[in-house]
Amino acid sequence: MAILVNKDTRVLVQGITGSEGARACREMLSYGTVVLAGVTPGKGGQSVENVPVYNSVREALLKHPTINASLVVVPARFCLSAGVEAISADIALVNILTEHVPTQDSARLLALARAHNVRLVGPSSVGIISPSLGKLGAIGSSTTSKVFTPGPVGIISKSGGMTAELALSLSRAGLGQSTAIGMGGDQIVGMDFADLLKLFAQDKDTKAVVMFGEVGGTYEEQAADLVEAGGFAKPLVALIAGKFTASLPEGAVLGHAGAIVSRGRGSYDSKMMALRKAGVKITSTIEEVPVILGELIK
Amino acid sequence: MKLYEYQGKELFKKYGIAVPGMGAGPFVVKAQVLSGDRMKAGLVKFAANLEEAEQYKKELGGEVLIEDNIPHVSEHYLSFSYDTSTRGPVVAYSRKGGTGVADAAITPVNILDPHLPFEKDSELSIVAGKLWELFISEYALLAEINPLIETVTGKLIAADAKIIVDDEKTDPGQRRFIDMGGDIAVLASGGGASLLNIDSLISAGGRPANYTEYSGNPPAKVVTELTKRVLSKEGLRGCWVVGGTANFTDIYETLRGFVDGLREVKPKPGYPIVIRRDGPRQKEAVEMLNEVARKENFDIHVFGAETSMAETAKIITKLAYGDSR
Repeated sequence: MAILVNKDTRVLVQGITGSEGARACREMLSYGTVVLAGVTPGKGGQSVENVPVYNSVREALLKHPTINASLVVVPARFCLSAGVEAISADIALVNILTEHVPTQDSARLLALARAHNVRLVGPSSVGIISPSLGKLGAIGSSTTSKVFTPGPVGIISKSGGMTAELALSLSRAGLGQSTAIGMGGDQIVGMDFADLLKLFAQDKDTKAVVMFGEVGGTYEEQAADLVEAGGFAKPLVALIAGKFTASLPEGAVLGHAGAIVSRGRGSYDSKMMALRKAGVKITSTIEEVPVILGELIK
Repeated sequence: MKLYEYQGKELFKKYGIAVPGMGAGPFVVKAQVLSGDRMKAGLVKFAANLEEAEQYKKELGGEVLIEDNIPHVSEHYLSFSYDTSTRGPVVAYSRKGGTGVADAAITPVNILDPHLPFEKDSELSIVAGKLWELFISEYALLAEINPLIETVTGKLIAADAKIIVDDEKTDPGQRRFIDMGGDIAVLASGGGASLLNIDSLISAGGRPANYTEYSGNPPAKVVTELTKRVLSKEGLRGCWVVGGTANFTDIYETLRGFVDGLREVKPKPGYPIVIRRDGPRQKEAVEMLNEVARKENFDIHVFGAETSMAETAKIITKLAYGDSR
């Protein structure tokens, strides 16, 4: 059945008239995902790919009450207000693709999402795809349809590019995916590894999960804590990047805003130790992932 | 962005947090540098009078802060920052200042309805409230007072200031560049893949000259400038351009930008260049690169998705060092 996104997903695109929003809309429609409406303040009455545009989330929901997911693709400075609008309207799933959202805004959005019992994925998410069922975002564009294939493996990744690299490597080995999620590489994100692993644990079509993590923050350590406490019992493979950062000054920021060089908890060694202790299989190359997974779920 | 102590103290004044002034002495003289533990590094001096303070100022050189060395009965630690285990702001407080956050009690703060865990109307609660206001209004990632000194009369004064402001608010999308000291220049794309690729290069025996990353669909010009910067380093023995299979990035445009940069590097790079990318317009990109290599005499080796990124780490290492490593 996959997690988060399936055939019943009904999408609202916030920021639909922007180039990224329009592309995401086009890609979702061509994948067979139902996009009911879009929102851009001041552009109500227009349409994008025949999808009607409204001035507010409230207005879109009045016309299309079955909307159950919102994709937020607005410029960073509008992200807080767009996210607040979607969460306050209790849309069950809010997926933020916007990058460069200030940490404080992300913390506000997450606190509000918790209060409203809304599932927040992102910011800086590449999107969510449940191959053959549906997707949020432009992830797995039509030109790369061979990347994501249906099957038993869940993917959770801090990096958008690595989401696709892992899927491609798995698909080539005949291992399809149940759902692949770009959770984003910011310091504060909505759903983290542990939150998503809990959903995958309940999903009977997911037989194993692969996660891509990197130095900075404690989401990998928290995933290890969950596994150790028995909260996720399926096979789990972790690919963790940033071993080399041990020699860099503390506080240096690498590719993603959350990839902050730290000593102790948050460091490469800390993540490795926690995951190993929890019995998670660890690898350092993409190519080893399908080999290890193939062994685990044969 | 990290602020200097004196900049942090300007912000403290703006939010009504007391900082040491300039009286008749004795004084403390502090070099304004961003590195930690200035005391240990000998960058903090104590002077009995202004004359002595001016002498230390000359010795330390650069930007220097001179202020009263205030007698106090105790030192506290107080900070606000973001924490990934609670995924929100936290306040850290310790009665024992000077040592740092390690000994502090950490309490989450509800960003939508903040209540600070201090006795109402106490001096500490008032200072913490002002620091919280600064933390939120200035979009800080860290607002730290260490030590927060308590005078004999019970007044709290911020003797130091460490503030990190969120770049995403002030200067979003900065390109990160770190000198790694080695001799294989790296142009990596993808926030996550770039980290994994540096790991792969080191594990293959290569010595990365730098860490940098360009993501999204950068215009050719941006890639050109980055190429020139990365290849300006002396003593390079190889160049590795590496990235995954792009969804939307125009590979031809990106690599055309690389070639434009390559042509401008002096002296002309004679070392091996390994390029591994794939995505839209890959075929045209490969043809263009091979033609440039042939006509302009560059040692370029191009690979696509059929060769893994990790494999090309081994290839560039072997080409760069031959049997000499």
